[in-house]
Amino acid sequence: MTSTATTEAAASPIPKTRRRRSATHFDANPAKAGWLVKSILIVLCLLWLIPLIGTFITSFRTVDAAANTGWWSVIVHPSTLSSLTLQNYKTALGGSTDMGAAFVNSLAITLPATFIPLLIASWAAYAFTFLQFRGRNFLFLFIVSMLVVPNYVAFIPILKLYKNLGINGTFPAAWLFHIGFGLSLAIYILRNYMSTLPKTVIESAKMDGASNYQTFYRLVLPMSVPAIAAFAIFQFLWVWNDLLVALVFIGPGANQPVTVALTQLKGQLGQGWELTTAGGFITLILPVVVFLVLQRYFVRGLTSGAVKG
Amino acid sequence: MLVKALTAVITVAAGIGAAFVLYWILNWISEHIPGDWGRRIQPYLFILPALAAIVVYTVYPAVLTVINSFKDNFSRHWIGLANYRALFGSDAFRSTLFNTLLWILIVPAACIIMGLTVAVLADRLGPRGEKTTKTIIFLPMAVSLVGAATVWRFIYDAEPKGSTQIGLLNAIGSIFHKGPVAWLDTSTFRLNSLLLMVILLWAQVGFSMVLLSAAIKSVPTDTIEAARIDGASERQIFARVVVPQIRGTIVTIFITVTITVMKIFDVVYVTTGGAFNTDVLGNQFWTQISTYFNYGAASAIVVIFMIAVIPVMWYQVKHFQTEEAT
Amino acid sequence: MRSQARRVTLLGAALLVGAGLTVTACSSGGGGGGSGSTTVTIWSSVDPPVKAGLEKQLVAELGAQKSNIKINWQTVTNINQLIITKIQAGNTPDIAYIPQPGVVAQMVNLGAAKPLNSVVDMSSLQQNMVPGMLQAGTINGKLYGLLGSANVKGLVWYNKPAWTAAGWQTPTSIPALTTLMSQMKAKGSATAPWCLGVNSTGSPGWPATDWFETLMMRDYGPTVYNDWIAHKVKFVSPQVENVASQFSQIAFTPGNVYGGRTAIPTNGFDTAGNGLFTTPTPKCWMYMQGSFITGFFPASVQKSLDTSVGVFYFPPATEGGQKPVEGGGDMITMLNDTPNVETVVKLLAQPQIGNDAAPTSSFISPFKNFNASLYPNNTTRSVASIMYSADDFLFDASDAMPAQVGAGSFWSQMVAWIGNQVSINQALANIDQSWPATSS
Repeated sequence: MTSTATTEAAASPIPKTRRRRSATHFDANPAKAGWLVKSILIVLCLLWLIPLIGTFITSFRTVDAAANTGWWSVIVHPSTLSSLTLQNYKTALGGSTDMGAAFVNSLAITLPATFIPLLIASWAAYAFTFLQFRGRNFLFLFIVSMLVVPNYVAFIPILKLYKNLGINGTFPAAWLFHIGFGLSLAIYILRNYMSTLPKTVIESAKMDGASNYQTFYRLVLPMSVPAIAAFAIFQFLWVWNDLLVALVFIGPGANQPVTVALTQLKGQLGQGWELTTAGGFITLILPVVVFLVLQRYFVRGLTSGAVKG
Repeated sequence: MLVKALTAVITVAAGIGAAFVLYWILNWISEHIPGDWGRRIQPYLFILPALAAIVVYTVYPAVLTVINSFKDNFSRHWIGLANYRALFGSDAFRSTLFNTLLWILIVPAACIIMGLTVAVLADRLGPRGEKTTKTIIFLPMAVSLVGAATVWRFIYDAEPKGSTQIGLLNAIGSIFHKGPVAWLDTSTFRLNSLLLMVILLWAQVGFSMVLLSAAIKSVPTDTIEAARIDGASERQIFARVVVPQIRGTIVTIFITVTITVMKIFDVVYVTTGGAFNTDVLGNQFWTQISTYFNYGAASAIVVIFMIAVIPVMWYQVKHFQTEEAT
Repeated sequence: MRSQARRVTLLGAALLVGAGLTVTACSSGGGGGGSGSTTVTIWSSVDPPVKAGLEKQLVAELGAQKSNIKINWQTVTNINQLIITKIQAGNTPDIAYIPQPGVVAQMVNLGAAKPLNSVVDMSSLQQNMVPGMLQAGTINGKLYGLLGSANVKGLVWYNKPAWTAAGWQTPTSIPALTTLMSQMKAKGSATAPWCLGVNSTGSPGWPATDWFETLMMRDYGPTVYNDWIAHKVKFVSPQVENVASQFSQIAFTPGNVYGGRTAIPTNGFDTAGNGLFTTPTPKCWMYMQGSFITGFFPASVQKSLDTSVGVFYFPPATEGGQKPVEGGGDMITMLNDTPNVETVVKLLAQPQIGNDAAPTSSFISPFKNFNASLYPNNTTRSVASIMYSADDFLFDASDAMPAQVGAGSFWSQMVAWIGNQVSINQALANIDQSWPATSS
């Protein structure tokens, strides 16, 4: 295989048939996923799901029922099925807090806070992996060392900084914070992944006269899709489920995301905890959808065959 | 509402657009500087935005924290080592340190082992089974840790003897006529801390599974085919061909999870609040800030934590240097 | 490659970015502090129905005055922590309802709370509030925190039908209470005298401190109680040790508490009271908790509160002895002293402000001259009248002490002692030791 052929092959979208074949390549004989493997996985998945099933059932029960009998009694005593109610969801979605607006706010906060660090981090990871420059190793280690700084340490200094810039309470306040704290991990993961990419492909592209810009966009970025998709999921989740940063930098009000809105359902002493079960599931739907959508990028074989040539 | 949605869309597009434009500008700059300089400063330009953001959001607060650890509760007067002396002199803090150490020893290793197991086993299934398994294991990650506390309440809850048990573990126990155990209150052998670790693992294994899965799938299939042709068993293939090639990812995850565990506070905060001997450094920091309003002590805790992380960082550096050498 | 077209694109992109950012700034500005000078921002952590009622009345009164002041009232969780954070960042609301005097003291320490003495009518407040309410928010002689809503503690709840059927009488002194407890135990072991639970998600132990405070103020009165808060009476002292022994006699004697001593640390304060209502036999006869506990009773009980539930004041130490009441509540603090903010504070400081909240929520007004007919049921009315007729209103000590103790060691040592992990002497010594050296 010539270098240009591999470049094209890696850069163009993988045709469906080829993807399916390579996806089962290592999985080899389906017979290898024998009953032992299957039963282990089934047991594991069931155990994994039990806490969530319990909460899911509870979200349809009244608070008295939930406090007095176990959630499995709904399964064991099907007669109690009639006592299930949608009230928790109605209260969580209706009520005085505008959940629709909160949902839009959550999206408005999460999407840029996911894309922008990915973009910045991929550029940096690219530079750290494929470009030679002085201080490369030192700067990389420095960036990774900053992983140890917990984000809550930065609340007050950044709040003061934002106050001088006058952006407290706005979306960019949260974006910038999430970007700042997501970068170390993103660079770490992406660089680690990029270093497993075949250097020969990149080098031959350079020899063919591609600029760094082109190499990045046409070659490295598509090949790094699994790692980028992986990190996108985590960052999305982290920002979507975040409560503290939103509370501190955006605060309750017109711009509050869903996580902040949900806390307003509870009374001062925790009355209304049954609403958090319903609320938890409402906020769960979107991240799961995102995960399912990004799953398809975890395909193997994007680089297979590109090394030996 | 429509105006709101429209505004949101515009702001999102503007934000993302701004990032693209930024890089476009940087690239344009580097390409238009005459001679060799353009090429030489290009890498620095590529990493400039990342470096700037990291310096502002992590380095600046970190430096400020170290300074504040020597000041009083609202960072107004210098008090020297008083915060550190108070912390190390308190039994509660030493217990917290011990707990944190326990978490660090157990959770990262467990997370990797479990993540690897699931990634490898699921890999053997057909695409649909694999997708389902992975989604199920991943599902807890989509639940925020506050939500996870509510969720696990229905497993660990304990009611007085004679009342119906609403926690699953105690309900199973009552079938066997074993009295209700107050799981989260039992600190013998740090049982409650172990149970809290279960919650964190439940929520975090998805993370390591996803990354390990991506890594396993990026192992070039030729190497595996070659080994198979040579007659190696699946287990040998895994140990001798796959693992060495994903070693980098394993180390990455290990370090990431270790650091996350050291910082952890949500799980403890929303379940026991650190009571019953479950306190960890992150939660203690949060208590100092939010309840005692003692920024000096809180900063000292962070400094202790950052110092404690040095061995981890050192290991990471060594690993990195070995990798670079090959 | 870098042609004119590209330059135009770049310019266009820059304009778009600029437009987007401007739109963002304009549409989502002003999270805290109010974007215009006619908007007054208020933060509180009171229950949503209470806040809704108070806000409605406030806006109505402003409208009646033909005022152009707009109100931006937010419910904030973690208000204690958030307000201190926001003060340090210079980004506060105009008014904040703070549930802990200790936090108000910190706000004064940081110079963020402004004195209310010249804003509200002090003499009318002194007349219409229970003695002690104003003192709770007075620091260095000036009023910084004005009680805006109240809750009452040291109340004993019972299952009215079962109680009357069994023929129990309300005890009017602690010795009479002790006698009642023995009578209850003699009647049968199926129903214990007390239900008790000190667990609370994220903050276990505070109900135990309520017991100590209740006994402390009845045994020794307001002066010693306040000295205790000020650390002039230490935890290792004859008074506190006596209170501890009283509590252990009530709570640890086998048969006194449903579930026994071992269940107390794990029983949640929110569900322990349900033992009063279990059918066919209640698990216990009495449950001591604050007025807010009615919101946690089973739904069927809440629907018929007056007929299902009875409440009496935890008896004084001796027959006819002093009757201070323990309570809590949210205190109005003023962070920005402007004419508009002062107008709003004046309105919030009137009894009428609760007119809408009282019938529609668990709100209890701190004013003696509040129109009690507005309370939604007799139960709330009797709780309120217990408070209005008390000799003194004493704020929950653990909310008034420094947080390291009041929200820290006091709670955790109580839990440890009840759970038999530490002796009482050791627990009291630990609490004293944790008292912060400086009160800065």
